[in-house]
Amino acid sequence: MNIPFIKYSKMWLFISGVAAVISVIFLIMWGLKPGIDFTGGSLMELRFAENRPVADEIKAVFVKSGLEVSTQNSGEKILIVRTSFLDENKHQEILTNLKEVTTGDITEISFETVGPTISQQLKQRAWMAIVLVSLGIIIYIAYAFRKVSRPVASWKYGLLAVIALIHDLLIVIGVFALLGHFYGIEVNTPFVVALLTVLGYSVNDTIVVYDRIRENLLRRREDDFGVLVNAGLNQTLWRSVNTSFTTLLTLFALYFFGGSTIHSFVLALLIGIASGAYSSIFIASPLLVVVEKWQRK
Amino acid sequence: MDKKIIFKSLNKSQVKWRVAGSLILFLVCLVVIFPAYANIGIDWVNNKTSIGIPTLPNSGFNLGLDLQGGAHLVYQAKVDDIPENERASSVEGVRDVIERRVRGGLGVAEPLVQTTKVGEEYRVIVELPGIKNVSDAIQMIGETPVLEFKEANNDKPRDLTDAEKAQIAEYNDNANYKIKNILDEMKAGASLEQMIEKYSEEKELVMGNIGFITEEVHPEIYAWANSANDGDVSQIVIKEMDGMSVVRKLSTRDGEKEVSAKHILICYRGASYCESQFSEEEALSKINNLKAEVTVENFSELAKQNSTEPGASESGGDLGFFKAGQMVPEFENAVWNVPVNTISEVVKTDFGYHLILKTGEQTRKEYEISRVFISTMQASDVLPPEDAWKQTGLSGKQLKRAEVAQNTQTGQIQVSLNFDDAGTTLFSDITSRNVDKQVAIFLDGEILSAPVVNEAIIDGSAVISGNFTWQEAKLLVQRLNSGALPVGIEIINQQTVDASLGMDSLTTSFKAGLIGLMLVALLMIIFYRLSGLISVVSLVIYSVVVLAIFKFIGVTLTLSGIAGFILSIGMAVDANVLVFERLKEELTEGKSLRSATEEAFVRAWPSIRDGNITTLISCVFLIWFGSGFVQGFAVALSLGVLVSMFTTIIITRNFMRFIFSFLDGKKFNWLFLGGVKKEKIS
Repeated sequence: MNIPFIKYSKMWLFISGVAAVISVIFLIMWGLKPGIDFTGGSLMELRFAENRPVADEIKAVFVKSGLEVSTQNSGEKILIVRTSFLDENKHQEILTNLKEVTTGDITEISFETVGPTISQQLKQRAWMAIVLVSLGIIIYIAYAFRKVSRPVASWKYGLLAVIALIHDLLIVIGVFALLGHFYGIEVNTPFVVALLTVLGYSVNDTIVVYDRIRENLLRRREDDFGVLVNAGLNQTLWRSVNTSFTTLLTLFALYFFGGSTIHSFVLALLIGIASGAYSSIFIASPLLVVVEKWQRK
Repeated sequence: MDKKIIFKSLNKSQVKWRVAGSLILFLVCLVVIFPAYANIGIDWVNNKTSIGIPTLPNSGFNLGLDLQGGAHLVYQAKVDDIPENERASSVEGVRDVIERRVRGGLGVAEPLVQTTKVGEEYRVIVELPGIKNVSDAIQMIGETPVLEFKEANNDKPRDLTDAEKAQIAEYNDNANYKIKNILDEMKAGASLEQMIEKYSEEKELVMGNIGFITEEVHPEIYAWANSANDGDVSQIVIKEMDGMSVVRKLSTRDGEKEVSAKHILICYRGASYCESQFSEEEALSKINNLKAEVTVENFSELAKQNSTEPGASESGGDLGFFKAGQMVPEFENAVWNVPVNTISEVVKTDFGYHLILKTGEQTRKEYEISRVFISTMQASDVLPPEDAWKQTGLSGKQLKRAEVAQNTQTGQIQVSLNFDDAGTTLFSDITSRNVDKQVAIFLDGEILSAPVVNEAIIDGSAVISGNFTWQEAKLLVQRLNSGALPVGIEIINQQTVDASLGMDSLTTSFKAGLIGLMLVALLMIIFYRLSGLISVVSLVIYSVVVLAIFKFIGVTLTLSGIAGFILSIGMAVDANVLVFERLKEELTEGKSLRSATEEAFVRAWPSIRDGNITTLISCVFLIWFGSGFVQGFAVALSLGVLVSMFTTIIITRNFMRFIFSFLDGKKFNWLFLGGVKKEKIS
């Protein structure tokens, strides 16, 4: 099998470039919708045994105590309430007030309070972590591929892998910016974790391809770098597809059968890993060829 | 094609052992995960053969907060008045204490208590899976007593800020203005009583009557009243520390009788506060000699030269005026009713032997006063109250044990404290610094008692006496022993997860995991046939081993941990796939099954290694970066990746070697070549 991937490098790079740019535009226009981990506040999930009161009634209870509030229905009986920070006294007070306007029982399924101080820290550390991981990966690959520094220097492999990776992350972020704007889907710590996982996994995938190219470089005598890369792609194609497919399969299982609390997390992973598989073949490798051509000029 | 084929030449029996070893590992791990079943087996064996095999501890998995439901609390430690370099260890102390409390008091299976620092703030995170009633938990933790030892604060009060100075100036200007008005109006003919009615700030008094005053309480007013007649009104303003008054002297009465005297004291070893070295006989003979010598005129001189009273060399033994009851009975009796200028006989008290000269007697007057009062403001009104006490670093953290005790002499109920080594050192420093001074013991921010230190205490034990009843002392000891916090804490974040939510998540995640595994198994068999089957077996062993490790280490399983685990299954599959694709290639090139197998593993290894290492790098940063969710995920993923490298290289490989040893010869290649077109088989 010899699919001419490299021949159409320009096209793949163009498509990917456009996709990345669109994601960035989404991000700038709408931003991600920050969840409670980032904004701080209180998140209450209530189950009403009998009739769930109209949203305005519930809101009135909070407004009376001078609190900001937004509500979200979930299914028939559950209500998700988001409001500003409640200390324990306030919390109990609100619950009592809510009970007064409801017939039947209210159970508080969960109550999450995050003071704004915590979220600031999370944000900073998230950025730090992403930067550090990228650096770590580049350094490691530069070392592992040190034997194939011709025609392309080994550290460049690492750099290109990271570029492919950034593309993957941008795609995920772009999708979630879209979802956040139209469907109100929020990003919390799990989202950040998903991004970091995609990071590691996507590079994993890219490395397998590069690894094949490396082996070819060591074993075969071939002057045309492009041909070499293309051969490597074809040789690893089946493996890449299989691997990504099995991983995606487990993720689909998680998505459809796992708990609802991890839905958006799994979704982010699905998008990220699919993109990762795509980027190893259609971005990382073509970029190698392009870089090599530039070097020759 | 490279001729160098590197493979281990293992003979059949070596491979057999490895396969057997893997199976045994599998069984052991199964037992770790499901000790209940193993116990059934063991019981059966025990019954039949009477060998006493001990049964295994039947503990379940350590379930995390989101799976079991429970409480997640975050407390902030109030470390503001603790010096910076001691803060971290104080918070550690808090952590220890809370953990003790929570373990003992709440019956929680596996509480997780950890400290964390966020910016400049120190926090303690408490996770209580399985707790039904969160407010109980909060209350119980909140009840932890805060025990602190403090010493007298001799630091200067801080200076006033400009704003504060302005505030005081404005207030006092106002006061002056009012007083001026009062004086003017009185000059114009108004009576003092009218002024009291109109201006006085002492609204609670009847007609501004402050009753009979003595010199001690209102020295300035007293001084004026001394030279005034009953009924007089002061023409000027009398200024005191807290305000200004215009007063009227209403009446006079006799106060208490007071006597003034000088004395010579010769104390002896064993007398109270005595620092001289005389024996009792020596002191007695000395005082008798003095008695023979002394006169009214030379009394002071002799006192200065001989008296053992501290400071007598300056004061000449002068005690000034004192009231009834201020001196010990023996002393008072010797001077109270005798004429002035009488020298007493030798008097013996607890302090030693005295000679006393009565120098005067008076009955001081007391004056009844009414006044119009305007208050003024001083620095002390504006500055925050000076803490009389400051921290010493000795607190509940160093407390080893508290006990109820009874003072054998007084019968008083006391609480005795024993400090640990660090505390003992600290306490001895504090007591030696503060001999003859007070050291205050604070409980929950209130001063419990402030005994005077007699001497440095080096054995690390102290006694608190605070008018306890037996019940009170017992309760206090209980609280102290179950943990006295070194610093106060305040709850800032709480997360309650209803148990039923957790239950649902658990079952759904479990099902998802199973389904994921089955799908992958199916895929592997379809694509890779026999190899696929082998890898499925390997994957099952992999899962079992990982779960056993989780249980053995005691990793708390949370939703994210399970997600990480499931993801690692996918990556384990990846490693296998890499090998099998390679195997297909090698077979296609015409190698024998055996050599193709070895080659496949060798060739695939670099990719597996590099891929997994980059994943591990991400995990390391995740573990550093995160708490809770993030860490759980990263730990599970790391463990999974590490174990998968093991199972692929060792288990899959040896299983394959084992089985292939039965299948040598090319005619079996079809069992491995999955989706390859038939023309390629030569």
